[in-house]
Amino acid sequence: MDFTQDDILALLDGVGDADADELDFGVIGFDDSTIVRRYNAWEAKAAGLSTANVLGRELFNVVAPCMNNFMVAQRFEDAAAQGSVLDATIDYVLTLKMRPVKVKLRLLAAPGVKYRYLLVHRPS
Amino acid sequence: MDRPHSVAEENEALTQFLYLAPVGLTQLSMSGEILMLNPISAQLLMPLSRDGGLENLFTALEGVAPELRYLASNFVLPHGRICDGMRVQLNAGVRGVSDPQFLSLTLLKLDESRLMAVLSDITLQVKRERLLRQNEAWFNAILAGVTDYALVRLDGVGRVEAWNTSIGRVTGFSEADVIGRPYSIFSPDDATTADRDLDRLHEADASGWSIDEGWRVKADATRYWGSAAIVPLIDRAQRNAEDDCALDFPDDAQYCMVIRDITERRAGSEKHRLDTICDHLTGIANRRTFFEAGELEIERYRRSPRPVSLLLFDADNFKRVNDVFGHAGGDAVLRHLATLLASTFRQVDVVARLGGEEFAVLLPSCDLSQAVALAERFRRSIEAEGVEVDGEMIHYTVSGGIAAMDDSVSGLDALVKRADDALYAAKAAGRNRLERWPVPAPAAQVT
Repeated sequence: MDFTQDDILALLDGVGDADADELDFGVIGFDDSTIVRRYNAWEAKAAGLSTANVLGRELFNVVAPCMNNFMVAQRFEDAAAQGSVLDATIDYVLTLKMRPVKVKLRLLAAPGVKYRYLLVHRPS
Repeated sequence: MDRPHSVAEENEALTQFLYLAPVGLTQLSMSGEILMLNPISAQLLMPLSRDGGLENLFTALEGVAPELRYLASNFVLPHGRICDGMRVQLNAGVRGVSDPQFLSLTLLKLDESRLMAVLSDITLQVKRERLLRQNEAWFNAILAGVTDYALVRLDGVGRVEAWNTSIGRVTGFSEADVIGRPYSIFSPDDATTADRDLDRLHEADASGWSIDEGWRVKADATRYWGSAAIVPLIDRAQRNAEDDCALDFPDDAQYCMVIRDITERRAGSEKHRLDTICDHLTGIANRRTFFEAGELEIERYRRSPRPVSLLLFDADNFKRVNDVFGHAGGDAVLRHLATLLASTFRQVDVVARLGGEEFAVLLPSCDLSQAVALAERFRRSIEAEGVEVDGEMIHYTVSGGIAAMDDSVSGLDALVKRADDALYAAKAAGRNRLERWPVPAPAAQVT
């Protein structure tokens, strides 16, 4: 599975946590109350936070406040309000361990799919 | 006793602490290059980034706080506070949908190689302060210096209705000079318009008072800095609520206007006042003042439509001026441009530097063709004049974009966008020229 793969949202729900930990990009899955439900090893290592400390926390205020603006958080809200599919890739800067890091973010959500996902790819 | 923590656990706790800090913290090199930043910084700054990156704070804020680079490079002490809680206006907001957004920025010099910036979103705080400021102005106007006021009774359309000696004492006018005349006789000719005088009566109706500080003029034509408060004597806002169709002013409506000469008090607070509302380099209005005045003018337009025009000017090839003549040359050009702008336009117009080499003029009660004529006159004077720096003449030109307010414009940002599109077209068409919105589509190439 790679970052740009088509239909990745449908596949992610079928990927077990152990397999998600093998991926070479970050995976953050969260529910419709924006509570983090999945957080893979790549993301934990990049952010310097352990998966156990992140699961069950609110994503945009407690785990990744840097994405709490119209460019990211708002797009998930808008997609949910309109009941539409969201699959967008944007350039962004994350503050991994307080260092500015250019990344590509892929925003994924669809009506009827259990979790929403944020995928983080760090171009080498 | 707490169990001992491992270094890794300590590290994670510290990381989380910084992730959660509700203010933006950013460490920079002296040239603004971002070395470290916490998540709230990225949350606040990313929407301002033009290229999807966040490499330099000064670059990210260039469009909204152009003076930062200058302030940092001109700070001479080895360490200290370069600016404290500086307000940066991000946009004008959308009427009835969102408030104008503001950031507060504090910049510290840590040592010879590092700066620290503290950012926070103060949109709500600014909104509350605006209300408070109105109250304060009101109390100032009624409580302080009660010996030097003129009490003027106005009729429903703002004409002076009755005489008393306080008018003569403060303004020097006689009874015959003022009775039946509009209250604009107390202001210099270019400091107000008939529309603006009516606006202030409407605003007094809507909020209970209208306060305005500015130049006033006496009978012998000397100027003084005055504060004028207008209060409706009848609560018309309440009455109109029952009868929304009541257009114009009923004949029995009356206002009380209190004019005070506060020239002396103003001198004391002048520096502080100028620091907040003026651009540091050119002395004309800054971006924030422009947006405040612009929003108010749009509100006035919504209530009673009238011509409102906006001009945007850009110094042509400004980068080249900087390259050839250095920053001192560039600064001289910007100051010259600003001075000529301020002397070309009326006092009632808002002449502002928006950032970099971009300037704006907001013209109340001025239609598109009048605005075009004024802009053209200004463009020509710049072309003809040039500015002298260290004995050397710098000749430069400006391009301008012009847009007029109409009902299809959703707000100030949209009006600025139109003028900006026109400005872009003027630059694309070869510079040293003006374009007005709507910009005609480029003619098809005939081969």
